[in-house]
Amino acid sequence: MNTVLSNIKKSTDCIIEKLPAIGLLNSLGLRKGTMISSMTIQPFGGPVVIRIGRRSVALSRDIAEKIEVRQVG
Amino acid sequence: MFFKLAISIKNINVKGLFIVWERLGGEGKMSCHTEKKTKVSEKSQLKVLLMGNPNVGKSVIFSKLTGMNVIASNYTGTTVSYTKGEITIRDSKGTLIDVPGIYSLKTTSPAEEVAVNMLENENADAIICVIDATNLERNLYLALQLKKKNIPLVFAINLNDVAIKQGIQIDIDALEKELSAPVVSTVAIRNKGLRQLLDKVLEVTGINTSNSYEDESSDDELWKRAGDIARNVQSIRQSEPTFLEKMGDATLKPFPGIPIGFLVIALLLGVVVGGGKGIRGGLLLPLLNNYYVPFVEGIVSRFVSEGLLYNVLVGEYGVLIKGIEWPFALVLPYVFLFYVSLSFLEDSGYLPRLGVLVDGILKKVGLNGGNVIPIIMGYGCAVPAILGTRAATSKKERIIVASVVSLSVPCVAQTGAFISLLGEQSVITLIAVYLISFFGMLSGGLIINKIIPGKTDPILLEIPNLLMPDIKSLIKKITIRTKHFMVEAEIPMVLAIAFAALVVETGALDWAARFIEPFVGGWLGLPKEATLGLILGILRRELAVLPLLDLDLSTIQLLVASVVSLFYLPCLSVVAVLIKEFGLKIALTISIFTLVTAFLAGGMINQLANIISLFL
Repeated sequence: MNTVLSNIKKSTDCIIEKLPAIGLLNSLGLRKGTMISSMTIQPFGGPVVIRIGRRSVALSRDIAEKIEVRQVG
Repeated sequence: MFFKLAISIKNINVKGLFIVWERLGGEGKMSCHTEKKTKVSEKSQLKVLLMGNPNVGKSVIFSKLTGMNVIASNYTGTTVSYTKGEITIRDSKGTLIDVPGIYSLKTTSPAEEVAVNMLENENADAIICVIDATNLERNLYLALQLKKKNIPLVFAINLNDVAIKQGIQIDIDALEKELSAPVVSTVAIRNKGLRQLLDKVLEVTGINTSNSYEDESSDDELWKRAGDIARNVQSIRQSEPTFLEKMGDATLKPFPGIPIGFLVIALLLGVVVGGGKGIRGGLLLPLLNNYYVPFVEGIVSRFVSEGLLYNVLVGEYGVLIKGIEWPFALVLPYVFLFYVSLSFLEDSGYLPRLGVLVDGILKKVGLNGGNVIPIIMGYGCAVPAILGTRAATSKKERIIVASVVSLSVPCVAQTGAFISLLGEQSVITLIAVYLISFFGMLSGGLIINKIIPGKTDPILLEIPNLLMPDIKSLIKKITIRTKHFMVEAEIPMVLAIAFAALVVETGALDWAARFIEPFVGGWLGLPKEATLGLILGILRRELAVLPLLDLDLSTIQLLVASVVSLFYLPCLSVVAVLIKEFGLKIALTISIFTLVTAFLAGGMINQLANIISLFL
């Protein structure tokens, strides 16, 4: 089932289906087909922290809302 | 030696006023001495670029190989400009250039542009591409992009000790084959593999690489190849996460991350404020008052009879007394302990985690979590904080951080002065000043966010590994910063005190005070000596506060004077940096903004207190 990254419950694995054209996203390794998992969502409209490979990346919620993902497992 | 000194002008961490002016005048060109030297090196010496992803240890490698000290920290964007240094490979000399880290050749910030410009325009003989062993695939993506440039490459697989602890094994020989270039495993912080790295550089520079590697691969193909290579050369043993990995994750989650955040800040305050007070009151002041002052007074009174000169030397604003007491006994303990704490936090990788936790709040004032790092640096000194904003991706963010730091973040020297002024008499006033400072930051940010068009880029931040700081590097970093303060503060401080002594002793102050009495006395409710702080405060932030010591001010006067000096003009070095980074117009606007805020806030507190006292 497809949804957006900001709706994913924490510690779920998912695969990126579609993402906005932000150069830095790509350079950080977030591309279509990349497997990521959501780690935490910060309060007060704060960022979503995801895990990609062995690294954590903080993404603002505005960006996370534009990243479509498919949950796996 | 002079060469080394001169080139360090390029280094952001050197923040003297003199250097700033030099760069202003020279349009960023190096001084004549350096230019001569680099011209020579362009002809006969090897030129090597240190490149790689952000936060992979380039600056550590640079410091170890050149013996020059550039500040290295555990977060992305420590290096925002380049530094050149001399290296010796076997018998030949060369130039090594430390450039800001990049994720790809497409740039997103002024700091990254520096790196790509260096790559395009420096005609380097070789590149050392530093790769983070704990994040191989993404680092290989940049490596493959660099390979397209057809400049001889040597790869350093750095942080290999951390990787091994995390269960990652990298087959160096296999990677060498995949990349068809030399690969060296390094642990830069412990000097491992660095000599071998230089040897390899010498080996590759002879090889003609032009046209040896035609590559038209698309971005997707590069990523795919990076992934394939990573899978082929590394074996990951699924192991229980290490303690630091667990802590790294815990500090990112709202719980227990937020309580931990409060604990860290409380600890920081405890170390700096409590420790500083201890060193000052328990050690430095007794030493000064029991030994130094009687000693100096004894000597001076033997040669100089009572009068103007005597007073200038050892009187109320005696250069020989206050020139030692202010910078060393009152301010230095706080500076030292602040840099101990800041350096530890920087090297641990904790600061970006704090940024993630407060991003939601900062967003409301036009900033993002990543800006926490320059703001915290601003509590040390605004100069590196403002330069540090080069790592930010939008100009708006840069201006907001620079304004907020100039306006409302007291530097550590000023903090020391505040504690000296308020710590004994009224701790509540001290706390009030810091609450007002915090409020000033938020409302200043809000206002500027509204005024400046455009938008702030949302947070997109890589979180570094949480690491145990290396003690040796830590000591070095603290020494550089503390020494820098002593050099930077002492001369302006002595000059300012000499000026103050002359103005007071000759009666010039009484004369000047008549003109500004309505303002300082009427509006702010302060005695005429407070004028001195306002004059000297232009020079350095703590000098706006220190002349207020021993004036026997009332609590309200203390609060008013502290608030005025808090918001007052940023010091001269800061104004110079603002001009350099944003131009005269913005620098002037920020300065006027701070000045108006200072007198408005201070005056309003005084007037409000007057009104309230009428009813009491």
